[in-house]
Amino acid sequence: MPQPEEAHADRHAPDRAVLVTRGLSKSYRTGHVIQGRRPALQDLDLELRRGEILGYVGPNGSGKTTTLKLLVGLLRPDRGDATVFGEPLASRAWRSRAGYLPEHPYLYDYLTAAEYLDYVGRLFGIERKTRRERTRELLALVGLEQSAGVPLRRFSKGMLQRAGLAQALVNDPELLLLDEPMSGLDPIGRRLVRDLILELRRAGKTVLFSTHILSDAEALCDRVAVLRAGRLLKVGPLAELLRVDIAHMEVLASGIAAQGPGLEAAARVVSLGDRLRLEVEERSLGRLIVAIETNGGRVLGVQPVRRSLEDYFFEEMGGPATRMGEWGEG
Amino acid sequence: MGRGLSRILAVAANTFRETVRERVLYNLVVFAILMTLAGLLLGPLSIRQDEKILKDLGLAAMDLFGTLIAVFIGTGLVSKEIERRSLYPLLAKPLSRGEFFLGKFVGLGFTLLVNLSVMLLGLLLTLAAIGRRADPALLTAAYPIFLGLVLVVAFALLFSTLTSSTLAAVLTMVVVVVGRFADVIRGMREVLPGVPQQLAQALFTVVPNFANFDFKTRAAYGEAVPPAVLGWVTLYAAAWTAVVLGLGLASFRSRDFQ
Repeated sequence: MPQPEEAHADRHAPDRAVLVTRGLSKSYRTGHVIQGRRPALQDLDLELRRGEILGYVGPNGSGKTTTLKLLVGLLRPDRGDATVFGEPLASRAWRSRAGYLPEHPYLYDYLTAAEYLDYVGRLFGIERKTRRERTRELLALVGLEQSAGVPLRRFSKGMLQRAGLAQALVNDPELLLLDEPMSGLDPIGRRLVRDLILELRRAGKTVLFSTHILSDAEALCDRVAVLRAGRLLKVGPLAELLRVDIAHMEVLASGIAAQGPGLEAAARVVSLGDRLRLEVEERSLGRLIVAIETNGGRVLGVQPVRRSLEDYFFEEMGGPATRMGEWGEG
Repeated sequence: MGRGLSRILAVAANTFRETVRERVLYNLVVFAILMTLAGLLLGPLSIRQDEKILKDLGLAAMDLFGTLIAVFIGTGLVSKEIERRSLYPLLAKPLSRGEFFLGKFVGLGFTLLVNLSVMLLGLLLTLAAIGRRADPALLTAAYPIFLGLVLVVAFALLFSTLTSSTLAAVLTMVVVVVGRFADVIRGMREVLPGVPQQLAQALFTVVPNFANFDFKTRAAYGEAVPPAVLGWVTLYAAAWTAVVLGLGLASFRSRDFQ
């Protein structure tokens, strides 16, 4: 693995935040003749704790990609600053300990996947033998071992995304900054990347990933940071954002029709194929269960109502007007 | 070897591999065909003439092919990386923008060196095939051609940090053409007295004089370029290349990659 260029004072300080931003702001120039500036990110204060997975979510143009580009030095901030592993953002020393996957990565198409990873390994100063072993390991990790010798120009979008993830892991980074890591992946690829991110957390890595696929954020994140129009709206543990509503219960039942007698006790009935999901106030729960059984149905499960991340967004960002289809690049 | 230098060489090696894989060196095939045909057709001419024409043709082809590669590949090296966003994952690594930029420069410079060397070898083989011996004067003319090409690459990289690859190619070509006629520009007031002296002087100053790298005629007559002249040309090329690369580097460093 690469030798860090400088000693890292925080290596034995597990409680210290891995990444801290203070007032990080960026605007883009608009227009050619009459020039103005459009704010893309405003006064971002964010901390990423060691060993956590932080989901960075928000609709189009909310500033997700801008944030990640500022962190890796592809953009210069207008104001504010950030530290990574206690080092200033502009320092190159911390980069030996971090990995970055851009959105829709374009890798050199005249190289094979193995050649590309070897090239990246050289940039980290990794020895040739170690590079070779690491390349083999990583290609196996992302399910591309059979395509090691295939030029990247023949890769599908999903394969490129996986190769992009592999290049972010070449230096066995402690911190991963992933911009839409599930983008372009088929269900198998998404599962693979999900499992990989969870595996990275088990290995003590810290992950910041932006996503517009809320179910991925729900499945993976310890905390979620929500962005809207370049401003950080909220950041916190999922359980806090998706509070459990114990006053309402959710009943899953089968073998009954949605219009069956007695089911009016439910505040909301959703048909899920041959099953029904019924939301009911806690005090009417007993009445509803009796009604289901009286009608020949079967109660499959009862649990408190829990808001999904999607519900949260609909509420926080002005309801269904913020369509899921509008989400993506940030 | 320092880590910075090792990263520059990694980028340079990859750039060389890119040019080879993108079939840039296919021009050598055209050159080989050109030399073979010239060798066959010039046989009936007198001894001194066929040798001179062959040397002239060979050196001119080296200059032309080299310039085309330097302009069109050089302008694409950085601007295409920006347009395709292929440099994003790389610049997030310990590789600095300066190392990336210099690596690209060294890589294309090496490609041109290989290209020129193979063409020079081809020219010498063609001369040998028609019974002429290897002339060291050719080497002293090929070296300044290489220096001029390195300077063209520096301009191509500078423009490619500022604009699209197409416009960068046009601008680089303008510099090359104007630079080849730098002496004409300096003396343009003799032909066009209305041209302000300052304009003529400014044009002459901001564009390198590419005629300084042209010793083809002298070499064709078998006259080697003196070492002192080669030394001066080397200094001239080094100074210009350093300035142009410095400007390119400053421009590349200040860029935002949106």
